[in-house]
Amino acid sequence: MTTLLLLNMTNGLIVGAFYVLMALGLSLILNLSGVINFAHGGFLALGAYVAYTIEPVVGFWAALLIAPLLVALLGIVVERALISRLYRLDPLYSLLLTFGLAFVFEDVTRAVWGATGLPYKVPDALTQPISLEFFFITWYRLLMVSIAAAVVVGLFLFLRMSRQGIRIRAGTFDLDTLSSLGVNVRGLRTLNFAVGIFLAGLAGVLAGGQLSLEPTMGAGLLMPSFVAIIVGGVGSLPGTLFGGLLIGVASGLTAVFWPSASEAVIYVMMAVVLLIRPRGLFGEEGLLSS
Amino acid sequence: MMTDTAQRKLVLLAAIWVILLTVPYWLPFTGGYMALGTRVLVLGLAAMSLNFLLGFTGVLSFGHAAYFGLGAYGTGLALKFATNSTPLALFLGTLLGGVVAALLGALIVRRRGVYFAMVTIAFGQVFYFIAFRWHSLTGGDDGLSGFKRQPLNFGVWTANILDNAVLFYFFVLAVFAIATAIMGFLLRTPFGHTLLAIRENERRARFLGIPVEQHIWLSFTISGFFVSLAGGLNALLNNFADPTMLNYNQSGEIVIMVVLGGMRSFWGPLVGAAVFVVLQDYLSSMTTNWMSFLGAIFVLVVLFFPRGVLGMRFGNLLNIAGSWLKLRRATS
Amino acid sequence: MSGPSENLLDVRNITKAFGSLVAVSNVSMSVPAGELHAVIGPNGAGKTTFFNLISGLFSPDVGEIVFAGTNVTQLPAYCRVQSGMVRTFQITEIFPEISVRENVRIAAEVAAGYRLRPWISGAETTAIDKHIDEVLALTGLSGNQDRLVSELAHGDQRATEIATALALKPRLLLLDEPTAGMGDQETYEITGLIRRLHRNSGYTIVLIEHDMRVVFHLADRMTVLDQGRVLAQGSPQEIAANEAVQVAYLGKAT
Repeated sequence: MTTLLLLNMTNGLIVGAFYVLMALGLSLILNLSGVINFAHGGFLALGAYVAYTIEPVVGFWAALLIAPLLVALLGIVVERALISRLYRLDPLYSLLLTFGLAFVFEDVTRAVWGATGLPYKVPDALTQPISLEFFFITWYRLLMVSIAAAVVVGLFLFLRMSRQGIRIRAGTFDLDTLSSLGVNVRGLRTLNFAVGIFLAGLAGVLAGGQLSLEPTMGAGLLMPSFVAIIVGGVGSLPGTLFGGLLIGVASGLTAVFWPSASEAVIYVMMAVVLLIRPRGLFGEEGLLSS
Repeated sequence: MMTDTAQRKLVLLAAIWVILLTVPYWLPFTGGYMALGTRVLVLGLAAMSLNFLLGFTGVLSFGHAAYFGLGAYGTGLALKFATNSTPLALFLGTLLGGVVAALLGALIVRRRGVYFAMVTIAFGQVFYFIAFRWHSLTGGDDGLSGFKRQPLNFGVWTANILDNAVLFYFFVLAVFAIATAIMGFLLRTPFGHTLLAIRENERRARFLGIPVEQHIWLSFTISGFFVSLAGGLNALLNNFADPTMLNYNQSGEIVIMVVLGGMRSFWGPLVGAAVFVVLQDYLSSMTTNWMSFLGAIFVLVVLFFPRGVLGMRFGNLLNIAGSWLKLRRATS
Repeated sequence: MSGPSENLLDVRNITKAFGSLVAVSNVSMSVPAGELHAVIGPNGAGKTTFFNLISGLFSPDVGEIVFAGTNVTQLPAYCRVQSGMVRTFQITEIFPEISVRENVRIAAEVAAGYRLRPWISGAETTAIDKHIDEVLALTGLSGNQDRLVSELAHGDQRATEIATALALKPRLLLLDEPTAGMGDQETYEITGLIRRLHRNSGYTIVLIEHDMRVVFHLADRMTVLDQGRVLAQGSPQEIAANEAVQVAYLGKAT
């Protein structure tokens, strides 16, 4: 029983790590620019496919870094060329735009790499479990969680200590004041978007090693990321982090007792949070309401 | 005596109804088929209902497909298990979607803006998920089948809306007429004026003494009821209901129809639905990459066409109509 | 401490902080019915936040607001409006794409309780029209009533906003910088309007103002805010003679 519990908890934590990476990226973009990036799942899938393509050339470890960077580059192009035109308009338009982009990404991915699942080659050494007792923890999974954790820590450090990071945080509260202080708000938004997409791309590369590559792989992670943000609290990155882990673990736990409900439980949690604390667990009053 | 704008609106109204009433006579000549026309009506109703909330109250819901799908499933289940009467089944389906909209609306109406949109998306997905999983009731991935729209018995005459596509079209048109008449009426009342005030400047409306949340909830619920009705009609059209009628892709399509046709216009969404449905039909028969084209449509509309067809000046409209007709002639 | 009060508006010890920024600190103010009370202070003194607290845009962390004997501290904004507390905003926010008369009509319909109604009878429409006519005459807008607000001069737009406020049948008017952004002539006209509303029609008015000529011309009493606190309260003569006020405004002792 304990093994089953631990197995599912671990699965939950790993899934949670993906949710966290996705949700943090979404949250960053949402908080600073007020854009719900529906194409986030598409960027995730692209991260996986790009890594798949370059891995034979640069190797597993380099692909881990280069693929997300390439995807982030694409993100910059998208932001500059398309999304930045819509900031001053109603959020409806950027939502529709990213929605349309999601379609395009999925179709292009399918056209280029095919609709059938592709396997991602992970070095054999990593597929070994760390011990017989904890057979469900492979080195790869440990690596995934470690990388995710390191990236999250890195992100929070970046936001706390670097000049751009501090500006991003300030911009979340009051972009107008920031701009009147002479900060290049346009560039800041682009940087912020790129960081968010980098996280999505990274999540994609890591996920590629766990699941097989499919054009729709990002879509399945997009909704739970939304829920993570809603549960954790809009406007709060620590909240998103907590939310992602919480729903990951919750679905893992539910899988032990009631397997078919493990997906449903995250929506139940969302409904409960909305009922008793609509701003989310760590959300701030007044943010993103009119 | 009538002002210019009022005159123009009357002309538009007359034109639209003349076109709608004569569809069975001219549609075959343009290469269309009856079900396509009915589909335009159904989705047009869905889009106009969403616009009640989006264009006239200024609130974005990206999860309205949930009520569309609930209306579809409700109607289908009613026909399958409960009744032989098409109108009754339609009523029950509408009730299901509408009541859920009322309940959910009460839950989420305290938030607004981007956050509200997010929550509507997430809630919409809950129902998609339920339809998917509850295999025994809904048929899961395969969808709900095993029901058909039943002929209408008026005593002296039975309207065979099951086999006669033209009769069914007129049935849908009748329902459409009643629904849009009610919506149009509501928008002219003090209640409707209040919604417009909320759309123009929510804070200002609040400080005029308007209980904004309560009004938004009402608008959300009314919108939900009518979208649900459209969903029920959709189930009748296809004699089928499936989870894709519930998910956010469907929601997105309805929203783009509204934007494409013109958010600030009452009839705009119908025009948007016509354009979208026809384009979608055409593209999916032409290429397997129709998804990219659809996505591109979203992107292009948002970037270059945000006011939509009926939001533009009349001159541009004629240009576009002209080029579209040329395209059709060139490819048929 | 709450207790009965004869004042129309009683603000008791309210404080509001946003994170570590304390915008309003322990401010109290009493306004008896029929008074015109001005709130002044240098930029950033917390005047608009103070108004926002009174009108219900947000709630104070500490303190009470009592309006006509009722504790309204936790009451949502629209309830306060319906009980007679009406405010205007610094940036004119009337609906620009409709006429002056239509703007006032929306307010009049709300005040008559017609928001949710599907239709109103002929008699009710006549009553509303009469009310609108009165308000337009009071604010001098009868001639302009069918023009789109966006076409009007700044002064007339501000007058329209005041007209919509009046259409709501207020017991208390909160005017947020009514002469902001106006030239001398328009300032003169708006000041005249406010004076008529106060002296002739007997409205109770609290106003935020920067223009000292307006304030000293109109106010019965004043409250001076500086950095969120009350610096001084009293009649215009008392305030003018107050050294602390002079320092706050001029930065030095005269």
